[in-house]
Amino acid sequence: MPIGNAEPSVRPVPAGRTDGAAAGSARRRRGARARPGRGGSRAERFAPYVLVAPAILIIVVLRLYPLLLGVNFSFTGDGERNGQAVGLDNYLELIEDPLFRTALSNVGLLVLLLPVAVAIPGLLATFIYLKVPGHRFYRSVYFFPAVLSPVIVGAIFNLLLAFDGPVNAVFEAVGISPVDWLGNPDVAMFVVVGVHVWATFGMALVVFLAGFATLDAALLDAARVDGASLPQVIRHVIIPGLSRTIAFVAVTTMVGMLTSMFGLLYVMTSGGPEGSTYLPEYYIWIQQGQMNRPALASAASTVLFVIMLVVGLLQVKLLRRAGGED
Amino acid sequence: MKQRALWSAVLVVGLATAGCGSASDTGPSSGGSTDKLVVWDWKSGEPSAKAYVDKAKADFAAKHPDVTVEFVAQPFDQYYTLLGAAIQSGKGPDVMLFNGGGQIRDRVDALVPLDEYVAEDKQRLAGWDAFNKDGKAYAAPVTLQGHPIYYNKALYEKAGLDPASPATTWDEFLADCAAIGKAGAKCFALGNKEGAGIQFWMSALGSGILTAQEYDDWIAGKRDWTSPNVKRIFELWKEAGDAGLNNDGANSTAMFNDSFALFQSAKAAHVIGLMSDVGHWKDFNEFLTPEKLGVMKAPVVTAGTTPSLAYDGGIGYAVAKWTKDPKVAADLVRSLTSTGALQAFYAEAGAIAADTTIDVSQAGPAAAAIVAALDSGKPALHVALSSKTLDLMGRVSQQLLSGSISVDEAVKQLAASDQAG
Repeated sequence: MPIGNAEPSVRPVPAGRTDGAAAGSARRRRGARARPGRGGSRAERFAPYVLVAPAILIIVVLRLYPLLLGVNFSFTGDGERNGQAVGLDNYLELIEDPLFRTALSNVGLLVLLLPVAVAIPGLLATFIYLKVPGHRFYRSVYFFPAVLSPVIVGAIFNLLLAFDGPVNAVFEAVGISPVDWLGNPDVAMFVVVGVHVWATFGMALVVFLAGFATLDAALLDAARVDGASLPQVIRHVIIPGLSRTIAFVAVTTMVGMLTSMFGLLYVMTSGGPEGSTYLPEYYIWIQQGQMNRPALASAASTVLFVIMLVVGLLQVKLLRRAGGED
Repeated sequence: MKQRALWSAVLVVGLATAGCGSASDTGPSSGGSTDKLVVWDWKSGEPSAKAYVDKAKADFAAKHPDVTVEFVAQPFDQYYTLLGAAIQSGKGPDVMLFNGGGQIRDRVDALVPLDEYVAEDKQRLAGWDAFNKDGKAYAAPVTLQGHPIYYNKALYEKAGLDPASPATTWDEFLADCAAIGKAGAKCFALGNKEGAGIQFWMSALGSGILTAQEYDDWIAGKRDWTSPNVKRIFELWKEAGDAGLNNDGANSTAMFNDSFALFQSAKAAHVIGLMSDVGHWKDFNEFLTPEKLGVMKAPVVTAGTTPSLAYDGGIGYAVAKWTKDPKVAADLVRSLTSTGALQAFYAEAGAIAADTTIDVSQAGPAAAAIVAALDSGKPALHVALSSKTLDLMGRVSQQLLSGSISVDEAVKQLAASDQAG
């Protein structure tokens, strides 16, 4: 088979919309010329499909098909109604389940806490960039928790935050009444999010530092010469200069909070106290693994998927806009 | 334009097929071969279970020398998730270990009724009820699981109480707790982080609260949530929390094993523990010494009740319906519950075995007291509830302890969940 002849048809379409039609017609002409009497023409036409087939197959078989299967299962019943179409019953049950509503409102809480989770590494990176005393030391120390597994982090904080643990011992020593960090439903979710931020902000910090490397030092010097204070420098020089980095960190932090808090939740609170620290992924796991409700879990997964899709699309849009400003 | 048409097509196909198929497989399934049996459990990997597995294997090999047996130890955290996946695919182990109660009852669709194969063992083994559904036995019990109230005799002495005669009524018990509190220890070691504390509470104290008739009705599925005695279970739970009988931060204390550690380190005088696996007489003996560990009956709350030990079949082996020859697989289950194997399990792993013919006199007074109470024992109250209701009860119990819900509201929610499922 004349592989060489296949080459022109897989060449990328030239960039720029306006030439597209011309290039297409040129290709058609060439195709028309090649077709008569050449056995290789069919192979030539199919070659690109064959070449992309493995990638497409992997995506379709391992990604899209299971996804559709999951959505499909969410319209079937559990237990005695296993295999029967039940319409929207599972979704109605989800809406009525206070636990799932808590899980969703916790997602909302995570979105609200996002600015804090982005601001912390941003501020610390700013201090390191401005070379506060000991900045080299802090740079490595801040990154350290990022290498720990969530299970280890959870276990460490379980010990620290136990009712009779060291944190409460310090509180008692200075005369503050002890707090049941992981047993008080009003506090527990914030504690878990706080621990998650502590454990993961090192990565965002590194991204910020990389962003600072692209910042024009002359601008900072100019601002200083003009007598700008630190808050003014941050507000008018650093934030506009780092808008792309900030957008990127916001996206990755949000995805991280929505998808990788399971380990911490599992170890630190098991969704409790009083179900106050449920997140959708934990709910899905409980329904599938503990309650033997795979169809209901499929419905919850579908809802989570839709949420992630919306959040993801919004963020891609945000990234594009931030990119466009540069 | 073309893309839009494509998406519309995808959408139409998707909607047309929505609700077809099923989330868990029901169809006829293959898997497993007659010359090899695969066993799933979460026990066989532990060194303390080695003697048990070896004995069972030897017993089975004598009956079926041509069949090999492979034990696959799964992590317990993931066990029912993995098993759920296996059941959905209709392929998996031939024989598998189950906890009694809801965990097996929710999954009997995937299991073979064992009655015709294990008829001879019905008398020798105790605890079948936990593995029954609709009158059929789906697993043979290996250990018994129950909820004795353990107490620390050394703390009783320190508080000026007689360790040989623990309280028999609730008022006496509260008076003893006050004395123990003065001696610097808490009355109960309670871990309710997972919401399991209330289950233990209900089952350990229930026989002193519900009348015999109410108790039997409860187990039989006729649960009267409007009964004042049922409500009393939750009232006492809340009162004990409000009165400071429990260790601080019970809602953030893990039962396994932080609450047991509190009891073992003599920071609390009582703990509602288990009979087998963990948090039981063998663990406590090691820390408190066998002489200082006592087991008491539930104090009488409602006059006229006769407290009894709450226990059920703890873990048991079941046979999957996709196995090639259920008879061979059931024979393996019989080997796994033979007297020789269970004797090894009791001695090594520290379990009250389902075989009532085993002699436990070597294990100390606490184990002897438990075994002596088996005869008059009854199934545990919480085991009769569905896993969904138990999950809700865990959360409600945390709310009761923190005071964010009233007892009436708690019982109302539980009744709704119990009657729905």
